[in-house]
Amino acid sequence: MAADPAVTCACGAPPAPREPFLRRGGWLLPALPLWVLLYAAAPAASKWTAFRLLGLTPGSRLGEAVAFFLYDVPKVLLLLTLIVFIVTFLQTFVSPLKVRDALARRNQGLGNALASLLGIVTPFCSCSAVPLFIGFLRAGVPLGVTFSFLVAAPMVNEVALGMLFAMAGWKVALLYAATGVSIAFTAGLVLGRLRMERHLEGWVQDALKAPALGEGGEERPTLTGRLDQGVQGVRDIVGKVWPFILAGILVGAFIHGFVPESLMAGMLGRNAWYSVPLAVLVGIPLYSNAAGVIPIVEALLGKGAALGSTLAFMMAVIGLSLPETIILRKVMRPPLIAAFVGVVGAGIILVGYLFNAIL
Amino acid sequence: MLIEVFGPGCAKCETLLKHTKHAVEQLGGDHTVIKISDYPAMAARGVLSTPALAVDGQLKFQGKVASSAEILELLKA
Repeated sequence: MAADPAVTCACGAPPAPREPFLRRGGWLLPALPLWVLLYAAAPAASKWTAFRLLGLTPGSRLGEAVAFFLYDVPKVLLLLTLIVFIVTFLQTFVSPLKVRDALARRNQGLGNALASLLGIVTPFCSCSAVPLFIGFLRAGVPLGVTFSFLVAAPMVNEVALGMLFAMAGWKVALLYAATGVSIAFTAGLVLGRLRMERHLEGWVQDALKAPALGEGGEERPTLTGRLDQGVQGVRDIVGKVWPFILAGILVGAFIHGFVPESLMAGMLGRNAWYSVPLAVLVGIPLYSNAAGVIPIVEALLGKGAALGSTLAFMMAVIGLSLPETIILRKVMRPPLIAAFVGVVGAGIILVGYLFNAIL
Repeated sequence: MLIEVFGPGCAKCETLLKHTKHAVEQLGGDHTVIKISDYPAMAARGVLSTPALAVDGQLKFQGKVASSAEILELLKA
């Protein structure tokens, strides 16, 4: 069938006036080499500062801790900037509205799988959890499928995934994504089977019966708009999480320089049966931005902590957070909250043991 | 015009409220800006991700912190 050119071109809004080259992404041409240069110079600069400028002894505890800190701060901040930019840019192609429509009236199983995968890429802020939860249910997304999304969205954090890929290699990153998706899939499936609808708060049940009112039309951003959102994302996220990252790197530097390997192998090693539940129990009340955990994970792995225990710790910190639980309490009664935390926590512990056993 | 900003009270929502007020000031005239942080009200209006903005009852965008310039543009349209 010959395509009518007028039809194939229905993609385009009326052509907007061309913006200057630099605004349309031309600024990336000088920005990317500058990034590479800074990133490449970080190791030498940190060693020079720690051992020459500050006069610390290479190999000494303090020296190694300071060098780790001075190296990790620029490295992590540079990586974070690049990853947040790429992720925010890509996220302009996905929105909760599109995801909701893709999940509406899906059955169990396929719906859970799709929700867990989409949870990784959808832009999601935990303060949006409640409206999103209700919006999904009202559009006919089953409760279990909604849960798969709600578990995957914070647990497999797209920025943490990128950072892990850059700092610990693709195997650890893939393992993290695959386990997070499996936990979200299973937790949603289990919670869906438990018939928990009656444990939603009363006003939520009422809201679900009411017909939906007008919805916001979605505009289609231009390339410049998408790039601008990427820059905005860097400003928002890097501007907000740098204290978490500094704190995370400080802890990481302390572990790197001062915690003996024997202690770490004992506490978080694969032979200590209590290491996984301990990692989860310590991780739940700890609230950190996902990016802030990565330097700690890097240092733990470097000191010989078992991968399963370390991943369990990381998932508990970013996937099961106290503030999010408190937000969700507004829509769920205690039995449902308990089931949610219980199922997800059990999944993390199981995965921790599994990896400690097989790797 | 009645301009509503939806958000439970996180930093992003406060920023959007600030930008909206700024845009309305620049626009001039008699307009009302209100902040809605009540979850049932948000749910009833079909807000899926916050912060969101509605003009005269019509949801304009959600899940985004628009700049004052963008909002001004939107209000003029």
